[in-house]
Amino acid sequence: LLHVSAAVRSQEKLNLTVKDVKLEKFLDLLEKKSSYTFLYSNGAVRGNSVSIDAKDVTVPQLLGTALKNTGLAFRILQNNLIVITKSSAPPAADLNIKGHVVDSKGEPLPGATIAIKNGASITQTDVNGNFTATVPDNTVLVVSYIGYKTQEVETAGRSEITITLIEDAGNLNEVIVTGYGTQRKKDLTGAVSVISTKDLAGIPVGGVAQIIQGKAAGVTVTQNTGAPGAGIAVQVRGLNTINGITPLYVVDGVPVTDGISQLAPDDIENINILKDASSAAIYGARAAGGVVIITTKHGAQGKAKLSFNAYTGVQSATHLIKMADNAQYVSAYNTAARNDGRPIISDSLARTLSDVNWLKELLRPAPITNINLSVSGGNETSNYIVSGNVFSQNGLIQNSSYRRYNLRTAINSNPTKYLKFGTNINLSYEKNRQVGSSGDGYTGAAASVVRYALFRTPGTPVYGANGQFVDLPKQDAVLGNFLGDGINPIQLAANTDNNNYNYTVLGNVFGELTPVKNLRIRSDLGLDLIFTDYKQFYGTYGADRHFNTPSSLAQSHNQNLNYNWTNTATYDLNLDKHALTFIAGTEIIQRQMQGISASRTNYVNQTPPFQYLDNGALTGLLNGGGESSRSLSSFFGRINYQYNNKYLASFNYRWDASSVLDPQNRSKSVYSGSLGWRIDQEDFMKDIKPISSLKLRVDVGQLGNEQSLGYYPYLSLLGGTSFYPFNGVTNQGYTINSIGNPKITWEVTTQEDIGLDIGLFNNALQVTADYYIKNTNNVLLPYPMPSSAGQANVPFINAGKVRDQGFELDISYRGKINNDWNFSLNGNLATEKNTVVSLADAPVINAGRIDNNIFATRTAVGHPIGSFFLLQQEGIFQNAQQVFTHAYQGPGIRPGDVMYKDVNGDGVINQDDRVYAGSAIPKLTYGLTAAVSYKNFDLSAFFQGVYGNKLYDQVNTELEGFYRPFNITEATATQSWSGPGTSNSMPLLSWSDAANNKQASTRFLESGSYLKLKNLQLGYKLGKDALKVLGMSSVRIFVSGQNLLTFTKYKGLDPELYTNDNNAGDGVKAVGIDWGTYPSAKIFTAGINANF
Amino acid sequence: QYTDKDFFTNDANTTLAVNAAYTSATFTDASSNALWVLGDVASDDAIKGGSAGDQADFQLINDFNINPNNSAVEAVWKRYFQGVFTCNVVTDGLSGNTPGISATVKAQALAQAKFLRAYYYFILTTAYGNIPLHLKVETPTEAQKPVSTQAVIYAQIEKDCTEAAADLPTSWSGADLGRATKGAALALLAKTYLFEQKWALAASTAKAVEDLNVYSLLPVFADNFRAATKNNAEAVFTVWHQSGLTPYQGNNLNQWFAPRTLNGYGFFYPTQSLVDNFEKSPGGVDDPRLDYTVARAGHPYFDSAFDPTWTSTGYLSKKDCQPLSEIPATIKGDGNLNYPAIRFADVLLIEAEALNESGNSAAALVPLNKVRKRARESYLYDNTLPGFGTVPAGLLPDITTTDQGSLRDIIRKERRSELALEFHRFFDVIRYGQAYAQSALSDVPLFNYNKNKFFPIPQSERDANPKLGL
Repeated sequence: LLHVSAAVRSQEKLNLTVKDVKLEKFLDLLEKKSSYTFLYSNGAVRGNSVSIDAKDVTVPQLLGTALKNTGLAFRILQNNLIVITKSSAPPAADLNIKGHVVDSKGEPLPGATIAIKNGASITQTDVNGNFTATVPDNTVLVVSYIGYKTQEVETAGRSEITITLIEDAGNLNEVIVTGYGTQRKKDLTGAVSVISTKDLAGIPVGGVAQIIQGKAAGVTVTQNTGAPGAGIAVQVRGLNTINGITPLYVVDGVPVTDGISQLAPDDIENINILKDASSAAIYGARAAGGVVIITTKHGAQGKAKLSFNAYTGVQSATHLIKMADNAQYVSAYNTAARNDGRPIISDSLARTLSDVNWLKELLRPAPITNINLSVSGGNETSNYIVSGNVFSQNGLIQNSSYRRYNLRTAINSNPTKYLKFGTNINLSYEKNRQVGSSGDGYTGAAASVVRYALFRTPGTPVYGANGQFVDLPKQDAVLGNFLGDGINPIQLAANTDNNNYNYTVLGNVFGELTPVKNLRIRSDLGLDLIFTDYKQFYGTYGADRHFNTPSSLAQSHNQNLNYNWTNTATYDLNLDKHALTFIAGTEIIQRQMQGISASRTNYVNQTPPFQYLDNGALTGLLNGGGESSRSLSSFFGRINYQYNNKYLASFNYRWDASSVLDPQNRSKSVYSGSLGWRIDQEDFMKDIKPISSLKLRVDVGQLGNEQSLGYYPYLSLLGGTSFYPFNGVTNQGYTINSIGNPKITWEVTTQEDIGLDIGLFNNALQVTADYYIKNTNNVLLPYPMPSSAGQANVPFINAGKVRDQGFELDISYRGKINNDWNFSLNGNLATEKNTVVSLADAPVINAGRIDNNIFATRTAVGHPIGSFFLLQQEGIFQNAQQVFTHAYQGPGIRPGDVMYKDVNGDGVINQDDRVYAGSAIPKLTYGLTAAVSYKNFDLSAFFQGVYGNKLYDQVNTELEGFYRPFNITEATATQSWSGPGTSNSMPLLSWSDAANNKQASTRFLESGSYLKLKNLQLGYKLGKDALKVLGMSSVRIFVSGQNLLTFTKYKGLDPELYTNDNNAGDGVKAVGIDWGTYPSAKIFTAGINANF
Repeated sequence: QYTDKDFFTNDANTTLAVNAAYTSATFTDASSNALWVLGDVASDDAIKGGSAGDQADFQLINDFNINPNNSAVEAVWKRYFQGVFTCNVVTDGLSGNTPGISATVKAQALAQAKFLRAYYYFILTTAYGNIPLHLKVETPTEAQKPVSTQAVIYAQIEKDCTEAAADLPTSWSGADLGRATKGAALALLAKTYLFEQKWALAASTAKAVEDLNVYSLLPVFADNFRAATKNNAEAVFTVWHQSGLTPYQGNNLNQWFAPRTLNGYGFFYPTQSLVDNFEKSPGGVDDPRLDYTVARAGHPYFDSAFDPTWTSTGYLSKKDCQPLSEIPATIKGDGNLNYPAIRFADVLLIEAEALNESGNSAAALVPLNKVRKRARESYLYDNTLPGFGTVPAGLLPDITTTDQGSLRDIIRKERRSELALEFHRFFDVIRYGQAYAQSALSDVPLFNYNKNKFFPIPQSERDANPKLGL
């Protein structure tokens, strides 16, 4: 029996009392109580037992006593390694080993652990990844490092060993940054997607948000258009609300609600997306849209490291729409003219016309470049990083471009054991030049240049005889505007001068105090300061027509100061098998916005040196400005509990009070809780070898959304936005322009989630599956005011209910065929089902205006938000009898016209026959990255896609609708109905019948499903010899192709589109309407990642 | 920003709220104030014009193929009910005790708001018939309500006009020129009585406007439609526009009605039927109002030559349009003309019609002949007319008949010529009854008096007002 009384003393002297203990157990005990490690074979030691009662003895003394009369001998090697062998056996040769541990990129890994197989660790690598050890030859060394696969090495006589550790993405010990703290992945009870920096390298996209696209199940990222710097919609697990919601971004602890375009992808270490209630609820009233936690790069211990990453390349147009050429246009024009009884274009006239492919003229190759340089380093107490980044992308269309410059520093320091300080500062400057990219100009935003390019007839040349732009197309005395009167898109782009500048300071300082063991008290002061400048010069141009008369300059400046002060206390409590972590905190968040704007008109000299406000005429001055502010104060807390590494639980609480609510009604609490069960830790799982890890998670909780509230939703506000000229002089007028609701509060989402994490074959294959249901209550509904009640913004009431549910799957597999061939697969997919559960007594919401009083979408109970609501095309009338027997569609219907379904069977086709025809929300989103490496080469392919969504091709109501002299698609020109049986989808060419044929119907609704080969990348790492010559620690060069392939049935330029300038005001209630969208480019780049 | 609780605390703010109540009446945007479409394109006086397919909804009004989604139907409804709302903001804000506001400012503010509310309701009920009646800033639940009958709306207009007339001054001066006057309130009241066929009241109220002795007919008819003579003795209520202000407060119709080659949009073509309505002297001299009102071949279009290919009817409107010398093509949409909502000539014709209908045909001749006299005497005052100085023989002679039926026809004809293209015609046509309307719109096959005497209540109202009762 074992009677132990041992205490470690200085100089490794122990007191020890054991009686009749097996030698193995005795050695185990010594290992635990001392700094020695023992190496022996079980066979040699078995059968011996030990009885000792000793005080103040060293381990060698103890061993001498214990091994007396056992026939065993021991010797002490380097690193306190004690080898026990039979005295009779010939002593094995001891080996002095010099080892070097590197990662797959050849970079040294400091701090890797070297252990004897089945024994304790003997040493760690130094800052250069080197270690030395003396072991008996033929010992198996086990090398391990967090985040990497553990590797075994046989010494086999080698005295110099280089060990390459392979990263292990699925490592369960990975530290996940959660709200106000961290957790190991194996202990997580919530649903968190992790995207690490190595997934980001070399993908030529402008911002961090695009990098998330396709990388995390349930996180949908869609760029509004393909224009450089275009807005990006990020949705975590569905829509939540009809009012739109964006995730809360937390960058190094600083909450950011204005997006993250100012960050350089190269500066990001990793991105963790908190998707479920349990992990996100600690962010309370701001968390319903999910929380994206971004951690930027920090310096590591070791000598200074210089990194240089860069790529440059060229973008070009892809997937162009086939438009009619001049001959096809003339032929279609004449067919329509004959059908309608108008004069036709004569052959002689047709021969005088040019033949321009406007899309090709407009969309020209453009460069893209990214350069990043960083210096980092550190010692035991401090680390630092300084990095600079330049990103520059020109658009395919002239005068559209995006540039971003970043300067970042981060310093962390632990001056004493008890104190830690740090700061992160990211300075950025963005300049975005924009041309009209997505609408028809109805709302005042510039109309899409692409739209004009699609409309422009091929018979109109780009330039006239003197090289000037051709403005109005050729007219004809008989035919009138037979080539249309549209705008020359090239001229329009050339004369657009719209500049948007963002200057941001994003950063924080923090201090962390550890007054006693296991207690950390942290205080963070964060700042997100954004200056937004806008300057647009509207120069007068045009030969036949005068655009922008009088000339004008518009400018604005906005500043948006956000700061937060966050204090947390974290305490870890370990009681036998119980482990608890408590976090309690307070947070104050303030936002102050100020803006001024000004414009002048009548610039006598329109050249750039005169494009300043001062040079405009002194009449027609205009200026404006405003201020607003809001704040949030909060308390929060969390308890994480685990029992015996098997049973996990967490509980979160947050109380928020918001200044935008009525003082009587200002605060609210949310709660969440979760449970986890690590089934793999159970005894009954021990024998199921293929399953290396298995965890079941369930959680439920509440999340708030205060974004939709705006600033003073509880008050009725007057604005001075109307003017009346009594006696010819401007008089301002004030009236109520928004109506308040004192009872208003934020939306609350209740989310339930059940998840399973499985690791198979030693975690080579990892699967995470989640199913969630989100019920959002209190959804703010614009309480519909009858239009007779005036045009003030209507009050919001908390009455709607929306449900999102979905299934998510993440799969990763890593394998190797032999030492030269490695491969990996990372796939994810997510389903999404959105349902409006209740609009209380409010009526359906029509949105997505596509024509005067015609709306493409409807938000109604039982359907997804913003469902398309359209007439249903049944076919084409093939003969007069069909026209006669079909439901009445109006006067003048003839064979060749579109036939609509009489849905309600009343014998008349009208707006009552519209049906819900799908929505722009994909039923399925997915991404797949496949990577393979052979020796120094690596090849990866990233696919991304969506399935099951619809797009309303509004621009096709023009391009196929053909109701005026604008250009049409080649298919329309050549495949339209021309007699019975010729087509059952494309009506006859006729302008007069277009009123029937181009009604908002399923004729223009198309599948938005696509699969894109987003990125294909081939890299080569320089070998050791080359690196030595260059004096560098690693160099990788690569070539990459972006958007190489698109598989889609969509007829428009690019199925990847979100909102547009016309319908943006409707938010999620009207997305997926294509007015002629600026397409994404195909990009070829070459680049380098180098470390010195 | 001001909240509704802290705004009505002083005189200055009160005036600001009243100012806002005027803005819905303006034509700073011709598509959102589509009164010209409902008032004249729908009538026998004008067609939509422009190219086929451009503003298709306005063509559908022209054709009486009108559904509740029609943009003109929506636009007028929203614009004029927004006007009502801005008035209600004033009447609500000034209800009860308002310690910081002086009694005079308060009384005049309320009176202006009531007049404007009556003006907006008058247009709304003549266009749409039975409509909801909103008299205060309402909560969403309160705002949902059934339509009130036209009689109830008219009664409210009478009440508002009467109360407004009591507190409004007969005239304003200086910076306040353009605000509603006692005469405006009485004239609108007279017009309301006329539409209600309360003939005696209409006649006496129109007379009351005359008796204010501040209004008279201008010697030159066209001065009503010239920027230089904006504020004149004939303007009973005029909607002000001013070119060159920031933000724009000009008359946008100047661009919509002008031909394309002059940087206009080329809408709104007068019909042959309207042109034929103008009398000729036995010697073939046209009523001078014809060329003041309508541009046609052989006559200059202000300072440009008239090109007949500008218009499919051969005619363009001249009212609401200005010469290039005043408004160059580059600022075409920022015209400088006021919209003459109520002219004194209108008041005289109301009086004439009301007297004739109430059986006092002889008395009716007096105001009627005042209007005709001014028209023919243009030849004495407008030196640009050929033969200036002498009224052509037999041109627009005084009417002498006292036969009620004949006189009714004459007054209707006179009204059509005098007020042509001022957006009143369709409402008059409907008011004259089924027989007249069917005849006037006989070339519009889809026009059906009982179905089309009012425009449909727009879809936006139907969608958001379940209590509408339709």
